Amino acid sequence: MTDAELVARTRAGDADAFGALVSRYYEACRRFAYHMLGDRSDAEDVVQDTLMRAYRAIARYDERDQFRGWLFRILTNQCRNALTARGRRTRRFVQDDVALEQAHAPMAGLQLGAEHAALARALAQLDPLQREAILLKYAEGLEYTEMSAITGVGESALKMRVKRGSERLRVMLGTRDE
Amino acid sequence: MSEIPGVLPFQAPEGDDAELAGMVSAMYAATPPADSGAAERCARAVLADGMHAPSRGGLGVLRPRWWWGAAAAVLLVAVTAKPWRARAVVGRADSAAAGVAQPSGAVTQVAGSEAVRFELKLPADAGAVNIVGDFNSWDEKATPMTRTRGNDTWTVQVPLSPGRYVYAFVVDGTRWLVDPLAPQVADAGFGPSSAVIVEGGPQ
Repeated sequence: MTDAELVARTRAGDADAFGALVSRYYEACRRFAYHMLGDRSDAEDVVQDTLMRAYRAIARYDERDQFRGWLFRILTNQCRNALTARGRRTRRFVQDDVALEQAHAPMAGLQLGAEHAALARALAQLDPLQREAILLKYAEGLEYTEMSAITGVGESALKMRVKRGSERLRVMLGTRDE
Repeated sequence: MSEIPGVLPFQAPEGDDAELAGMVSAMYAATPPADSGAAERCARAVLADGMHAPSRGGLGVLRPRWWWGAAAAVLLVAVTAKPWRARAVVGRADSAAAGVAQPSGAVTQVAGSEAVRFELKLPADAGAVNIVGDFNSWDEKATPMTRTRGNDTWTVQVPLSPGRYVYAFVVDGTRWLVDPLAPQVADAGFGPSSAVIVEGGPQ
């Protein structure tokens, strides 16, 4: 059954249809949030919140959009909100530079193989908006038009973020091949 | 995109790094999956939270709107202040004397005497008008008014020593009417009435 059919059934009051959409997209959402936030349980909270919002707002979903793109629009917003909230918490409670450094020991919660650990660490140190653009481009493999629709940011700005983010990653990984 | 002459178009950098993209993609693919049942737990939580069916297109009007607050404020003002009923007092007097449209009254002290002249202009046809008040023990027949100036104005002179008096008009023996231009006082048991103060010396 296509996404559009499941959405139509959800709107008609069929809760199981939305359950099917959840199982279809849960893993993709969780993976994105996982790398955006660098924390497993934060990622699961954000995904659940995202899906709740999507369920409540399903009447406002425009069938001309891809459901996945629409869902990712909510997801990226929720990830930004979570990062902002986390930033506030950190600013409020952690004054000690050393503690701050350790708290940011990047992707402490990610259990990736050694070959990916360095990249994950570098990614976690990127500016969140650059990380978002890099993940959407390189990991999700989206076109800039799709990324623009999801983030509400112009394509030029997104290209700039990807470029700058790539450069920084290269520097941090020490693999700048020039 | 149209180009502006003389201005170089902004060249968005083509910063895609294929090798890096491959690395990120591989790392992404290596993300440990959620434990089995996580998606199902999430779906249950979402559907339990939305026990109400999701709002459908037809119910969209019930969605909170930004202007609800303004509408509530306008409604509150309308209900409490009733701006369209600025003439509520006169309106009530009118209805007290059904068929009598917009009467107007006047009270003047007659110079050189201890009398007060009451005047009531009644646009509608009336057979008889009496004045009642605490000066005549609210007797509906004690003080008849006389018709003057054509057909619509009724007057009477009442000798009153200085003091405060409460009075009303009785049209055709049955319909009580307050003086629309005089201050109204609390109902003393005889229906709505007006007050007049006769000046001159201590009461």
